[in-house]
Amino acid sequence: MDLSGKSALVVGAGGLGGPALLVLAAAGVGRIVLVEDDVVETSNLARQPLFREADLGAGKAAAAVARARALFPQLALEGRAERFDAGNAVELARAADVVVDGSDNFTTRFLANDAALRARRPLVHGGVLRTTAQLLTVVPGGLGGCLRCLFEAPPPAGTVPSCAEAGILGPVAGFAGGLMGAEALRLLAGERGAYEGRLYVFEARTARSRLVLVRKRAGCAACAGTQPLEAAGAAACETTTSRPGGAP
Amino acid sequence: MTAPRAVVDLRSFACPLTFVKTRIALERLGPGEVLEVWLAGGEPAESVPRSAEEEGHRVLRVEPLGERDVRVLLEKRAGAETGGWP
Amino acid sequence: MTLAEDRIARFARQLLVPAFGEAAQERLSRARVRAVGAGGVAPAALVYLVQAGVGRLWLDDPEHVSPADLAGWLYEQAAVGGPRAAAACEALRAFSRFCEVEPYPVGGVPTAVVVAASSPAQALAAAEAARRAGVPHVVLEPDADGGAVVSIPPGAPCYACARSTAAAGRPPLPGAAALAALAASELVHLIALPGAIPGRRLDLVRGVVTSRPTSRLAGCACGASAGGPGARSPSETPGDAPDG
Repeated sequence: MDLSGKSALVVGAGGLGGPALLVLAAAGVGRIVLVEDDVVETSNLARQPLFREADLGAGKAAAAVARARALFPQLALEGRAERFDAGNAVELARAADVVVDGSDNFTTRFLANDAALRARRPLVHGGVLRTTAQLLTVVPGGLGGCLRCLFEAPPPAGTVPSCAEAGILGPVAGFAGGLMGAEALRLLAGERGAYEGRLYVFEARTARSRLVLVRKRAGCAACAGTQPLEAAGAAACETTTSRPGGAP
Repeated sequence: MTAPRAVVDLRSFACPLTFVKTRIALERLGPGEVLEVWLAGGEPAESVPRSAEEEGHRVLRVEPLGERDVRVLLEKRAGAETGGWP
Repeated sequence: MTLAEDRIARFARQLLVPAFGEAAQERLSRARVRAVGAGGVAPAALVYLVQAGVGRLWLDDPEHVSPADLAGWLYEQAAVGGPRAAAACEALRAFSRFCEVEPYPVGGVPTAVVVAASSPAQALAAAEAARRAGVPHVVLEPDADGGAVVSIPPGAPCYACARSTAAAGRPPLPGAAALAALAASELVHLIALPGAIPGRRLDLVRGVVTSRPTSRLAGCACGASAGGPGARSPSETPGDAPDG
């Protein structure tokens, strides 16, 4: 399958976006736009495969682009060192054939959801928390509901998250991100997504899988493409995690 | 009440490192032993005791330390493995 | 037995996972992992093992980097034609200063093994060697549908009992990185939390994992040397350095 004419938007270059991007690049996707405004920190190096020791302190977007271009010279890769927010989300989604959301906070996840639906592009959502990975694919006009049908709204502002919720096992994040990449490839190839209309939950220690049906909620504005876009909050720090999904 | 087996000053750390270090300190105690932790006010003071409780430990006491910080006494849950303080 | 500040900072998020505390992280740093095969789908598994904090990774691969290896996460064009083990070592070292990555040394005694071999025969041989040494090991079976990971803690049914021959020879999907990450997750659990996971086979088909416990085939040699019902428990792993 020749994907050189296809393009993907990857939000986040960390524990989820990183492996997803590498999978897309390895499969020969022609163009990838990466949006990531963060800086490489030491704890990132325990689970984010685009970054190495020499990248500590560097902007993630620039480091990711350098690494991916070295590995995949054929790839047209644009790294945008900016926040994915209400100002750019729809335009970025529209310019791609698929949106892969590897963001690490709920506000951005909901924004990606709403923007992709508004732009009428399929979206692969993923999350990882401790040893649990979860994935959901949202296809405009397709089977099943979207992130808002499933969760209704991000948790109320000011909820202090539990520190323990910041726990992540690196290889499990890699597993989730790899699956996100593979799912995006299916969508680009015109196949039905494995997680369309169903939330896939995998817990790594018990190796238990669950598929949860996600029905369209009657009157969901996001599904209709009319959900007003909320600006991503100022503190998109990695500890801003609430059930479910956590930080990649 | 039992005297603390160990006292750890974590006031210069931010979340989530505060809880990482608290967990490590707890891991080294035997079941039922008490850990005293000093935490900066704000996020550490609020989330560390709660997180410790979620993991099955008991919060015995939270009291002010200086103007903003707190002193927390945690009892390690029963049935857990013993680590070893060097 | 204390974790240094820089390790706490590096592995902070991992140290917050239930059961993954200081002792677990130290077991990872004491581990000496032999990696049989550094081509095909292996790179992603190796990157995650290095990043998760295994202390030593020994690359056992006599082959050379081929253009097919460029779809992985480690090799650049310039590496094609050179010895794969050396190229992998150089690439992997850059990921973490907490892992010593070397070609597999003569006489090296691993405490765990990850097998991503280039042939079924090689996979069987490597798994059998790990089984005889009594160390936990994980075998990757990528295929065109996704593939499988077989996890073998000490004393569990061996790879020969659990493997599938159906998939041999078919090229793996580009999405096989997920399978490789899964293999890394299994091996990290086997090393860091001995006894936590049983012998099992995880099949990944169309993005979903099904897990089955492995069971011994009648008459398999792994049954005889495991000593029957009184077999060694998975938590007794020879080769571990004593706690200190």
